[in-house]
Amino acid sequence: MRGKRLVVAATVAALFTTGLVVATAPAQAAGKINYCTAQNLTEAGGMDALVTAAKKEGTLNVITLASGWANYDEAIALFKKAFGIKIVNDNPDGSSAYELQTIKTAPDAKQPDVVDIGATHLGAESSDTLGRSLFTPYKVATWNDITPTWKDTNGLWYGDYQGTINIAYDSSVTPAPTKISDLSNPAYKGMVALGGDPSAATESFMSVFAASIAKGGSVDDIKPGIEFFRSMKQSGNFVTVPATGANLATGAFKIALSWSFNGPGFIQAAKGIGKDLKYVTPKDVVLKGSPYIQAINAKAPHCAAARLWEEFLYSENKGKFSKDLTPADIKQSGSKVFALIMGGQNIFNSGAAHPITEAAMIKKGTLIAPPAGFEIPAGVKVYSPTLDQQIPQQAVVKTMWPSVIQ
Amino acid sequence: MINSYGSSKGVSRKGGTFARRNLIIALPLIPLIAYLAFFFFWPMVMVVTDSLKNNDHHWSFINFTTITHKPYSTAFKNSILLGALSALFASIPGAIFAYIIEVRGSEKLKGFVTSLSGVLANTGGVPLAFMFIATFGAQGSAIKILKALGIDLYSGGFTLFSFTGIVFVYLYFQIPLMVIIFSPALHSIRNEWRDAAKNLGATPRKFWRTIGVPLLFPSFTASFLLLFASGFAAYATARAMTVGNIALVPLVIGTLVDGNVQVDQANVGKSLAVGMVIVSALAMIPYLIIQRRARRWQQ
Amino acid sequence: MKKSLSIALPSTLAIAALFIFLPFGSSAEFSFRSYSPEGKLMHSFAPYQWILQQPEFMSHLLLSFKLSLIAVAFTAILVVPSVAWLHLKAQSFRSIIEVVTILPLVIPVVALSIGVQAAFPDWLQSTEYELPLMYVILSLPFTFRILDNGLQAIPLKTISEASRGLGANWPKTIIFVIAPVMRSAVAGAFFLTFALSLGEFTLTSLLHWDTFPTWVTSVSQQNIIGAIALSVFSLTVAFVVLLLVGLFSSQTKKRTEVAE
Repeated sequence: MRGKRLVVAATVAALFTTGLVVATAPAQAAGKINYCTAQNLTEAGGMDALVTAAKKEGTLNVITLASGWANYDEAIALFKKAFGIKIVNDNPDGSSAYELQTIKTAPDAKQPDVVDIGATHLGAESSDTLGRSLFTPYKVATWNDITPTWKDTNGLWYGDYQGTINIAYDSSVTPAPTKISDLSNPAYKGMVALGGDPSAATESFMSVFAASIAKGGSVDDIKPGIEFFRSMKQSGNFVTVPATGANLATGAFKIALSWSFNGPGFIQAAKGIGKDLKYVTPKDVVLKGSPYIQAINAKAPHCAAARLWEEFLYSENKGKFSKDLTPADIKQSGSKVFALIMGGQNIFNSGAAHPITEAAMIKKGTLIAPPAGFEIPAGVKVYSPTLDQQIPQQAVVKTMWPSVIQ
Repeated sequence: MINSYGSSKGVSRKGGTFARRNLIIALPLIPLIAYLAFFFFWPMVMVVTDSLKNNDHHWSFINFTTITHKPYSTAFKNSILLGALSALFASIPGAIFAYIIEVRGSEKLKGFVTSLSGVLANTGGVPLAFMFIATFGAQGSAIKILKALGIDLYSGGFTLFSFTGIVFVYLYFQIPLMVIIFSPALHSIRNEWRDAAKNLGATPRKFWRTIGVPLLFPSFTASFLLLFASGFAAYATARAMTVGNIALVPLVIGTLVDGNVQVDQANVGKSLAVGMVIVSALAMIPYLIIQRRARRWQQ
Repeated sequence: MKKSLSIALPSTLAIAALFIFLPFGSSAEFSFRSYSPEGKLMHSFAPYQWILQQPEFMSHLLLSFKLSLIAVAFTAILVVPSVAWLHLKAQSFRSIIEVVTILPLVIPVVALSIGVQAAFPDWLQSTEYELPLMYVILSLPFTFRILDNGLQAIPLKTISEASRGLGANWPKTIIFVIAPVMRSAVAGAFFLTFALSLGEFTLTSLLHWDTFPTWVTSVSQQNIIGAIALSVFSLTVAFVVLLLVGLFSSQTKKRTEVAE
């Protein structure tokens, strides 16, 4: 049935593109636009038409957007409030592999509209045939501001934000850690943890990578990092507990390496358990991870809402957050509401992530200030291992890590 | 009751063709069997067939050769050890507890214990992990109490986030599971048996040696094997407590199906799952033989 | 011997209570914690008040209740009559059914979830009612055993034959004779299905559904104590329902005893 609908839709779309309707007002055409094949805002009939269509669909399926992650909480709240569209978030704590697995195996109704996946997965999934079967091309209005290395030329996928590896610590810890290489200090016995298994979770993998560079390794050599954790395991500094809020609450760890964009959420959550958590950018090495990747699912059940969500996430607006949005604001037309609200790129920035259009936004002066304490100190060398550098090192971690921690 | 069980066998031999009679008897069981077939066996068949395909969807044993090598073989070794140890440490106290309740408890208490065990046997995951971290973690309440009494467990190298720690946490659902599974066997050693033995002049010691232990041993072993399978297959709790420091098969499957770093190895995950089914099945064979013997005994 | 056993029961119960409630109590203590802006520790009902203020709390709890009740209903119409039949007429099938029903306990749920996604048709996977159907399977190892044990203590065959001998037909025998004596075992089985369904996490999340337990896990990211309070709450609900079931089944037992 789905296939049939697409055939009809494609025919309609073909008629449009032959120029028959180009002259008519986009708003009138809205009813006839096939949002599942629209590849940019113009093809989607403009912002007003897109908002109307998305509202009509009424729902957006997102997947694995963890609470406290890159300020997605605010993005979801703002999108819901501004457009009155319900957001269903499948398995908020799930991983990138879960997202891809869902696209491949879930029935139509459970398909996500949009995904946010770790860049390492691109190695396998963006190779043309596979990428095409999973994603559908769309180029947002701010397409040209996205770093060229991190977008598919056809618009199948595009990076959205990056994080740096920071040190998170309970402020009761003395002395306060400032460098990753400091973590072997005997004062930190029984305190240092990772977010998860480095052979399974990107954040922990990048943490070991950062440690490696701090201990004389490089973007091509993760072994010194593994050895660093081995020595810390032997000295008792490194505890093999996942650095979760519950484990912080019970004092199972006090120091962890963590993505910067987990910071604001974690700090807030820690307040609730009476812990004053601090994030610091390490003085010895700043490691910026590969960006996470946005894409629209080829099987998206809500085509218009998916496209509106992407336009929203890549908007560079300096506007209102959800708490400042008034009922009068929302009554305006779709394009006016869109122009009024905070753009997704700035929302990422307010969550201590580095938006992919950061450079362009700095130039335009539209970037809002990041939360205090997360700025990268001027003049520090920033390391960013490429995917080609990461993949062989993953294999190294996979074979060496088990011997470190057992 | 014992007689009534025997009689059905006698009747079936007498009346008509055995097979036809069996068919009629089986008829009311068809809904349950059909339900199991559709909701349980069919999905499992899908897992088995997928595990026999390589990434290009061709038939292949490649996944099974993969899982007999490191790191997967280590995971199997750890999981089998975890299942066996948690079963060992749960089955003995569980059996003793079930025995005392069976012999001394009122009917009401027995019912309550069974249901309560049902609840506890199903605790797991993040809540269970948290309960133990809050109690036996470095800052846990029990650890603090013990410290005040002069016992410092952690200075002795104890940590909850180790293999030993996981075995310890598993006892929280394994012991209740033992109580559920083992209690019925104890029906066969009710007070009457003991009284009969006493009337015949057997001392408690002699009673245990000649009647109690031989009678309960098969059921105990069967329960042990079941506990082994349960500990072997448990997932959520270990996941909430480790950072890859303990390689366990269910966790490895979880990582393969749901991991962040490695790319598409779902079929290896499926063959690991089938590997688990095989290990469980191997544990179930002695279980079956023992159960069959035990039933004959009880009759 | 007798004397030592009479001490044995209370001391066993005491040890069991310690084993159960020490971890539970430690969590419960955490669940009442709150902190002043200066980070001073207090104990209050604030985390529980926070729970009640969450609009998602009720919707998720009600959804989980609904799904759990459906699972109970399926256990009632599918499992209970089958086990009763095994005891009444089909003894020869009992051991094979016993083995089959143990399998869901020993097969990893992660593996089952993979199979379910590959096997079930789309329409079934698109409705949340696939969950209670699977909960019935997951609880089967427990429900079968509880019913089986319960029935072993009752000479079901003798009772039903007596009833038939006195001229009652099958429906009458089932409703007025078999059902009442099975009540306590059935109540136990229902309760177990309910408790398992209410707490099931792994399969639910792998099949992309959002119920009470998956919601609790996602809450733990933003409000740690709130999530602990929710875990304590759900375990408490299970205990309370357990007490109610116990009360209910002991009352009906009295009634049936009088009737007998």
